[in-house]
Amino acid sequence: MRWEDLRDLADLAVELAVKLGADYAEARFHEDQANFYMLRNGVPEVTGFERARGLCVRVLVNGGLGFASLNKPDKALLERRVREAVSMARASARTRKKPIKFSEEKAEEASWEAKAKEPAEDVPVEEKMALLFDIDKVLTDRAETGTQVPFRLLELTESITERYFVNSEGARISCRVPRVEFFSMITVTEPDKGTEQDMVQEGASKGWEFIRELKPIEKLKERARALGVVLREGVSPPKGSIDLVLGSEVVGLIVHESCGHPYEADRIMGREAAQAGESFVKPDMLGQRIGSEVVTVVDDPTLEGSYGFYLYDDEGVKARRRYLIKEGIINEFLHNRETAAALGVSSNAAARASGYNREPIVRMANTFMLPGDYKFEELLEDIKLGVFIKTFGEWNIDDRRFNMRFIGREAYLIEKGELKRPVRRPVLEITTPGFYASVDALDKNLGFTAGTCGKGDPVQGVPVWFGGPNVRLRGVALGGL
Amino acid sequence: MELRELANLVLEEALKLGADEVAAAAERSVLRQVRFANNEVTIAKTWDALQVHVYLAKDKKIVVTSLANVDPEAVRKALKDLMALLGVMKARPDYAPLPEGPFEYEPVPGLYDQKLAEMEEEAVDLVEAAINKALEAGGKRVAGTLLLGEEETFLATSKNVEAGERRTKAQLVVRALADGESAGMGLTCGTRLADLDPEGAGEQAGRFAKLSLELKTLEPGRYDVVFGRPACAVFFDIVAGMASAFYVDSGLSCLVGKLGQKVASELVSLYDDARLEAGLGSRPFDDEGLPTARKPIIERGVLKTYLHNSITAKRHNTSSTANAGWIVPRPWNVVVEPGDRGDEELISEVKRGLFVNNITYVRFQDYAKGDFSAVIRDGVFLIEDGEIKAGVKGLRLSDNVLNILSSVKAFSKNARQTAHWWMEWGSPAVVTPLVLAEKIGFTVPTK
Repeated sequence: MRWEDLRDLADLAVELAVKLGADYAEARFHEDQANFYMLRNGVPEVTGFERARGLCVRVLVNGGLGFASLNKPDKALLERRVREAVSMARASARTRKKPIKFSEEKAEEASWEAKAKEPAEDVPVEEKMALLFDIDKVLTDRAETGTQVPFRLLELTESITERYFVNSEGARISCRVPRVEFFSMITVTEPDKGTEQDMVQEGASKGWEFIRELKPIEKLKERARALGVVLREGVSPPKGSIDLVLGSEVVGLIVHESCGHPYEADRIMGREAAQAGESFVKPDMLGQRIGSEVVTVVDDPTLEGSYGFYLYDDEGVKARRRYLIKEGIINEFLHNRETAAALGVSSNAAARASGYNREPIVRMANTFMLPGDYKFEELLEDIKLGVFIKTFGEWNIDDRRFNMRFIGREAYLIEKGELKRPVRRPVLEITTPGFYASVDALDKNLGFTAGTCGKGDPVQGVPVWFGGPNVRLRGVALGGL
Repeated sequence: MELRELANLVLEEALKLGADEVAAAAERSVLRQVRFANNEVTIAKTWDALQVHVYLAKDKKIVVTSLANVDPEAVRKALKDLMALLGVMKARPDYAPLPEGPFEYEPVPGLYDQKLAEMEEEAVDLVEAAINKALEAGGKRVAGTLLLGEEETFLATSKNVEAGERRTKAQLVVRALADGESAGMGLTCGTRLADLDPEGAGEQAGRFAKLSLELKTLEPGRYDVVFGRPACAVFFDIVAGMASAFYVDSGLSCLVGKLGQKVASELVSLYDDARLEAGLGSRPFDDEGLPTARKPIIERGVLKTYLHNSITAKRHNTSSTANAGWIVPRPWNVVVEPGDRGDEELISEVKRGLFVNNITYVRFQDYAKGDFSAVIRDGVFLIEDGEIKAGVKGLRLSDNVLNILSSVKAFSKNARQTAHWWMEWGSPAVVTPLVLAEKIGFTVPTK
């Protein structure tokens, strides 16, 4: 059998599994191609590509789940691994008091793709490397940045993922998604002032046109310049209760960490307890108030061109926008077919797998706070004393997603309604309900940044967007020791 | 296709296409995993994989790839694409050739156990034993992962290197939860079935969950801390990772410019040991084919070496430490030198402080300085007058890598191999005792 024929084994895998006694079976052929280019401190550190392709099968037998993956187009091996998946599922089922069930869903037949106006693979390698060298040149020119940038790690990645999904209920979905990503990590230093580091990750399900729109040279130059000013002129953050304005980048990550993750139904039900953790949110909290009325947070895989774009999930369910918090009320969780059945609802298509050898689990796509109608200046105008945290550095959140911390990177004092001197490293350490209850106004500038969200065991990194407008919080004390 | 045949195919074809240097690492693995939560198995998985990793150099330019399609025609096409890529790349000023072989390799004992390679449904029995023990010890809901299986590698380079190895491994992590926020964690890992103690891991997880049934909140501030092995594994994984010359040269390490300097308390000695018997990260050769060795990273508080491959070594005007990684040099087994007291004795030395079993979600404000914070969990207790009292909630570890290294006051004598999900810097395992450190910073949310 030829290696090119691996895809054709997906249907056979499902057929075999059912014949061996599976109550439900699905198979996914999944091919990932990625090219990457890295420049470190002006030296082309590594260039190359990865080609991963393979097939997986997931089976439900007597309420136990089994999974197997392989990358060889070998019918005998496929049969052996499908047989093992079925027998392991059966062995797992004996430990279960509650058999696993999947929600009833329409068996979809579809083919979808993300469009690249200018396919990244058609852009000459020389042009890609030239862009990285141009960025590096600007970053090392003090006349351009006004500061010193001794460490510069710059990366471009272009990828194409192709999948074919089939299950024993008759669903058949094919897709093709091209993506481009830009990543940078720079260290800015000023004599006797120490260092600040800045990380940028931007990505989209598009072609090279995204990099042209991004204008990374201008973007990194401005960020380096701003950090130089923070280092030279930054003052200590004010003490006591003040008002805060958080920039779109900060808001985006906050809603991803403190709304997206705790609303993943598998976390709520304890399936990730040993790794990423559980959730402070319980099933009976649907309909409860968590934030002020101006807060609405959605997760939407269907945004065309977004980094987390998809139209059908990896269980073959049609995607739609999910309203996680609606006007301050806990509205909906993220579900796959297993969690949906357990809570008596339908899947909202949040099942994603990062590669051929990974099971689909509950994931976010593009999570963001819906914008308001303020202008940015209007957010500031009645603040007597406050801090605008535009970008962040260090962050983390506990395993229940209740206690979080974000340290500002580029931040400014707000005095009498105006932005003033830079502030060095303001620490926002706050509970999740404390954050959502404190939000009182949002501007109309919705922005997104990209990330690779990690979850599962083994870890699955999936592309996502974080987003939101600039947001005002009332009466919050900055933290830290 | 045999691994040797696959690696040699890459070698021959790439040289035919005009590459100056070639390395090919062919790998085959069959790994199995049983995941569990709420006292039940949630899924059982089997991964069967064959792939080849390729390194090509021409005119001081380097490209790399990983290929999961090892059909000879696909491999030939990929090599042609790589050579075309090399054609338009720029030369590296820091280029260094691959090491010239052949080399003699001394096998590392205890790396393979047929029983682990062949275990299928019996893996569920091991998981059940761990769950039952955790419940017996006081856990109410038990979750975790058992990973086991075998991996085989064959490395060939154009510099007369031919090297093969195979290994088995098993890692079991158990997290028990009781009421509310109380949680405990236990783990066991090794290269042989006999190394595993599923019941011991379950017992510790359940006991810690029960001990933290009553949770207190404490004031932010500085506390003396005994760190449990999972926490030490996360911390020393970071320290060893930051010794990688790749991270040093990227500004992602607080060990930059500190070779030969005191970076830790004199009690701290930290080794990278690829030759550890039955070590999860043990291996006779690195990715460039150099024979591996044990070496101090920190010895009695002084930073002794960065971890190098041939290129980073050239950049630093030194020799490779046999830690390649073609791109990123990495540690194999991180070994923390133990002290002379029992675990309980270490705790008994604390007048008022904390026991922190695990640290997770470590994120840096400044890698170059080492400023970070982390979530603490899976058994966090107040120690008063040398005894563990109540469980503690709400605190966050907020400190600095170098400060913690300098604040170490003692190690316990019982070092154990430790590996778990939150070791994000890539060490396969850390062999560590408990650590006592003084005046470590903790913060709390303000609203």
